[in-house]
Amino acid sequence: MGTNRISNNRRKFFKASAALIGGTFAISIMKPLGLMAQTDSDDNTNEKDKFPLWGMGVDIEKCVGCGKCAEACKIENDVPKEPFYFRTWIEQYTVKNDGEVKIESPNGGIGGLNQSVPDEDIFKSFMVPKLCNHCTNAPCVQACPVGATYISPEGVVLVDDSYCIGCSYCIQACPYGARFMNPVTKAADKCTFCYHRISEGLQPACVEVCPTDARIFGDLRDKKSDLVKFLQENPTEILKPHLNTKSRVFYNGLSSEVR
Amino acid sequence: MSKIIFRLLLSFIVFVTAFIAIRQLVIPDSFGKLGHYRANSLDENKARVPYYKGTEKCASCHQDIYDLQFSDLHSEISCESCHPPQIDANTDCKVMPPIIEGTIEFCAQCHKMNAGRIDKGVPQLDIEEHKGDQNCIECHNAHAPWELTE
Repeated sequence: MGTNRISNNRRKFFKASAALIGGTFAISIMKPLGLMAQTDSDDNTNEKDKFPLWGMGVDIEKCVGCGKCAEACKIENDVPKEPFYFRTWIEQYTVKNDGEVKIESPNGGIGGLNQSVPDEDIFKSFMVPKLCNHCTNAPCVQACPVGATYISPEGVVLVDDSYCIGCSYCIQACPYGARFMNPVTKAADKCTFCYHRISEGLQPACVEVCPTDARIFGDLRDKKSDLVKFLQENPTEILKPHLNTKSRVFYNGLSSEVR
Repeated sequence: MSKIIFRLLLSFIVFVTAFIAIRQLVIPDSFGKLGHYRANSLDENKARVPYYKGTEKCASCHQDIYDLQFSDLHSEISCESCHPPQIDANTDCKVMPPIIEGTIEFCAQCHKMNAGRIDKGVPQLDIEEHKGDQNCIECHNAHAPWELTE
């Protein structure tokens, strides 16, 4: 009797194993079929392509450091007026004859930048407007523990300020220092490319007011846009390319001194 | 079915339902619709009213000034570069016109001598030397800087 029971168990075991292996095998065949089914949903990604992909060009050779963009940004987006909250700001880089680099940005450049180094000591000097670089691989989005910061279908990195818990991880994660804690909303705050304006077909406020057209805004997918033309005609570079952030703010005339 | 198995099964079902119910309650609407975020947040970000209305809006009433500015060197500058909206975004500029005073400090934002501004198409002046003791707008029309008043 005992031997009978054992052989019965063995039979069950073989049956179960066969079912398991057969099932796994069947699923492994099904998977490519599923992938084939997903080729239909590739049309969905094509639909995503119908969204614009916003980006910005910054022409350092044109920027005069007047600070109008930083001022307009504060008005347009209700950014607190204290001189340490900025969605965009301008830095003046001064390379001295002895090779020392001085970076100044008093009040983010609002009210115009003044040169503090005497002319005879200057090797070269230039202005660099800074803002959120709207990375394709955004470190801030990866750092957010609750999903309160995200990349919109148009490629704009946005903050959901009603969902933000104010942990500041994203502020530490941003390699460009483009984020700050808004003391009014108690949420992380940053440049949105003026999302409310670009959704209505307007230009971002900083682009609108720039007197020398040093900022160029447009759709990277539209081959006729001003931005694509700017990228085609100028040798552009992004900030900190070694971090593989694949940002969408492109600088023309970027010196190696810029950090 | 023995009693203990039944109890185990029952408590398992209760915990799973409770988990699903709480999960439904805690996760906000539209979360995960487009990605790991609230899709409604896109509309909330869009909802703000623009302060800067654009040059066309200004020109719809101030066509004469627009034409004057277009004829001279400041033609590429938008109205709101110098006249930032000092208004509530929802009101009209007529309620409180954004007036600026043509002080030297104001014009110096772009025109003060600075090593970072050379050869960028913006005239650079030693403001102290150029002005004497006058304001810029006493000689220059800000909209058409080469229409000198003398």
